[in-house]
Amino acid sequence: MSGRALLGLGAGFAVWASAFVALYAMLSVGCRFGWEGVELLPGLSAQRAQLILLLALHLGVGAVLAVRFRVPPHGPFLWRLSYLAAVAALAASLFTFAGVLVLSSCA
Amino acid sequence: MNDWPPVNPIRLHRQLSAIWDTPPGLARLSAVNHSIVGRRFMVTAFVFFAIGGLLAMLIRAQLATSGSAFVGPELYGQIFTMHGTVMMFLFAIPMFEGLAIYLLPKLLGARDMAFPRLSAYGYWCYLFGGAILIGAMAAGVAPDKGWFMYTPLSSSAHSPGINADVWLLGVTFVEISALSAAIEIAVSVLKVRAPGMSIDRMPILAWYLLVTAFMMLLGFPPLILGSILLELERAFYLPFFDPARGGDALLWQHLFWLFGHPEVYIIFLPAAGVISTMIPTFARRELVGYRAVILAVIAVAFLSFGLWVHHMFTVGIPHMALAFFSAASGLVAIPTAVQIFAWIATLAQGRPRFDVPMLYLGGFFVVFVIGGLTGVMLAMVPFNWQAHDTHFVVAHLHYVLVGGFVFPMLAAAYYWLPHFTGRVAEHRLSVAAFWLIFGGFNLTFFLMHLTGLRGMPRRVDSYPAEALWDWLNLLSSVGGFLMAAGFALFVADLVVQIRFGRRFRRNPWRARSLEWAMPTPPAPYNFASLPHVTDRAERLDPSRAGAALAGGRGYLAHARNGWLETLGVEMTGGAIDAIVVLPRRTFLPLWSGLLTGGFVLCLLFKFYLLSLVFLALTVASFLAWTRGTGARQDMSLLPVGRGKQALPHWQTERPPSWWAMVFACVAEATLFASLLFGALFLWVVAPGWPPPAPAIPNLLLLAACAGLLSFGAFAGGAAVSRLGVSRSPAGWLALCLASQGVATLLFLILALGGPDPTAHAHNATAFVIFVHGGVRAAIATLLAGYGLWRAGSGYLSSARSLDLRIGQLWHRYAAGSGLVSLAAPLALALLAGSGEAGQ
Repeated sequence: MSGRALLGLGAGFAVWASAFVALYAMLSVGCRFGWEGVELLPGLSAQRAQLILLLALHLGVGAVLAVRFRVPPHGPFLWRLSYLAAVAALAASLFTFAGVLVLSSCA
Repeated sequence: MNDWPPVNPIRLHRQLSAIWDTPPGLARLSAVNHSIVGRRFMVTAFVFFAIGGLLAMLIRAQLATSGSAFVGPELYGQIFTMHGTVMMFLFAIPMFEGLAIYLLPKLLGARDMAFPRLSAYGYWCYLFGGAILIGAMAAGVAPDKGWFMYTPLSSSAHSPGINADVWLLGVTFVEISALSAAIEIAVSVLKVRAPGMSIDRMPILAWYLLVTAFMMLLGFPPLILGSILLELERAFYLPFFDPARGGDALLWQHLFWLFGHPEVYIIFLPAAGVISTMIPTFARRELVGYRAVILAVIAVAFLSFGLWVHHMFTVGIPHMALAFFSAASGLVAIPTAVQIFAWIATLAQGRPRFDVPMLYLGGFFVVFVIGGLTGVMLAMVPFNWQAHDTHFVVAHLHYVLVGGFVFPMLAAAYYWLPHFTGRVAEHRLSVAAFWLIFGGFNLTFFLMHLTGLRGMPRRVDSYPAEALWDWLNLLSSVGGFLMAAGFALFVADLVVQIRFGRRFRRNPWRARSLEWAMPTPPAPYNFASLPHVTDRAERLDPSRAGAALAGGRGYLAHARNGWLETLGVEMTGGAIDAIVVLPRRTFLPLWSGLLTGGFVLCLLFKFYLLSLVFLALTVASFLAWTRGTGARQDMSLLPVGRGKQALPHWQTERPPSWWAMVFACVAEATLFASLLFGALFLWVVAPGWPPPAPAIPNLLLLAACAGLLSFGAFAGGAAVSRLGVSRSPAGWLALCLASQGVATLLFLILALGGPDPTAHAHNATAFVIFVHGGVRAAIATLLAGYGLWRAGSGYLSSARSLDLRIGQLWHRYAAGSGLVSLAAPLALALLAGSGEAGQ
């Protein structure tokens, strides 16, 4: 086990935190620039599209992390913890940011 | 197997004591030993807790009946502000810091923390910062705008006196202590452990404290930044929070709660670690779900940074953003519940025996679970809108903080007091004290849920009789005084135990962790020889281990060169990688604390020129810390016992001080990121934008400064490389010093050459970003100069390059962040005119 393995413990939730910052920031930027009123497809505003894109990107990175860290239940301590943390963070991301799919963004 | 001849335990004790002891009398002020500093933190924190408690009694006396004339609104403002400030900043955080400083080396099988002088300096900063706050209260000029200091109420227009300045400067002074403790704890847990204690063998409390330390590194900088910005607005009229000039009062709320909500978990997690340590002892089985609990703690740490806006649900944030924060607020209950279920499962699967600490832990379970449930209620936006700023919130936060911190700390006091004193209690008063505290607490605060639901707002000094809140408030006040009587009994019980408690030989609770493998009260060196850990640190037999270690059958069973030695280990595997030579007792931390205090007082009383003198003296005092550290000749591997050898830490690749610089950079980067967040927030959200004229900086100066910063980092690295091949680094260090010094000047010119920073928040943020970049470059200049001095004094060689490598870390950070400091104002100036102004 190396010191670098310690970083894996926070990797999954770091992606969650990155998603949080990115979505909250871009939500505000989109509201300031009026992207809610720009319709890309029927029923899909530029605002919602960029938020969904950001969320998908983070979910993808989170999923890749979870796969990379995957070890059997009795695998190395830090790797197993990192894997479980990555899975928990992925679930947390889905729950926390599901609102981008349905909620009005600037009201 | 030991390299040293068999030792006489008494002789070994005498030899080690001669090195590690702190004499009584005035010399005690020079103490840096973790047991003394830790106890000082805890005793001081408890004194502040008593002051905060007295203020709470005054609050309850005032609110006992409607239309009370006990104290007027002005004084009441000071009382409730100081109650919150004292309890949060002067009690809760320092209390756990003290416990961590006292316990961690003992739990980890070490002789002290990684940086004993930093602990001592942190204590003095805490004491002097607290004294400024309490002194201001005695003088009748205490902060009076709430412990959260919301703008614009705390801005100079509405708070013209020094009351708010006392809070901003006093609390920031205390926060220096918190940040130094965070670095100290993180490095100590990761690097200063007993050999063989790999990371999966660490005691669970060490995991909790490690995670908490990282939370502090990331959580406190936003508050420090907010305090600096608000003080700049109050003292120099820079408009960060003034909507008329492009600022926004909500920026303060964001920065404050970005600290304030993680703060709740920063307080709770160490207490949870204490619970996770005590419950296995009383359940007589190890903690169920060691790995699940660690995972839960990591999850709580991250999630707690995504909740801060639930304090701001009513300020008009878009619903989608509210959903993020609401979801995260509800989600954090899951990892918290994982810990609670782990504790219940440990008790269920063990053979629990009940003693006084368990009684207080029972109180914790009831109170904290109720607080957690009302927390989930408040996480839901519609309910939050109804209950916001009512006494329901007051009830909730007290259930969480008293349940989640005070009850566990009371249990911890009974659990570890025998360790401090070498005496066990007769427990005659502790049970009565518990029931008074528990009953009084619930009477006081459970009823506040009802007054809150009936609409009683927070922070009011009186209420009309027609509201029909009298009887609930009167009962709350009665409960408050019952609780106070309980705490008085608790203090009496402690005094009785310390004075008349029964002496015991070792390990009264039959615990299985390392802190009990030593005589109590502990010797200043903790262990006469350091253990080799071969299993989880909570599966040990302290009685057998203690006898073996006292007999010198461990590592470092000697007194060599008069050094204060402990062992440094590889972070995850626990293999020995250094002999960490710790500093002896010194008055320097006290002097540095006094000089820092002088600097803060000068700012408070607006003696700005004099403050620069104190700042320079403070820096000089820090440089004086380095005298006598390291060595003027290379050393070969030294025996450490059990057939092992190691180098002194200054000849190793990544000793504790290297990691301390890494973590200092992390904290600094968080402060800088918060500043950039503030600048972006104002551009996106604040009214009064765009500014009259974007402040586009001089591009030539920007380019020159960027070049100098990059070259400075390169020169710092080149100096290390040159030293590595046994050549003099002086030339490259001189170039590094020159380039960083000129970069500092250019940052200053950029800051002062821009448009009037008092005219608009856009100008003010550019000004502060440049000044901040200049401060980092100035520190880099200082480090380059320090490297030159060390090289000239013979402390550096190819094997002893640590000083330069630490400097190199900062040079790189200063260059990287400096480039952002140069680019950000330019980008902000280009963006300033775009988009619609915020609402």
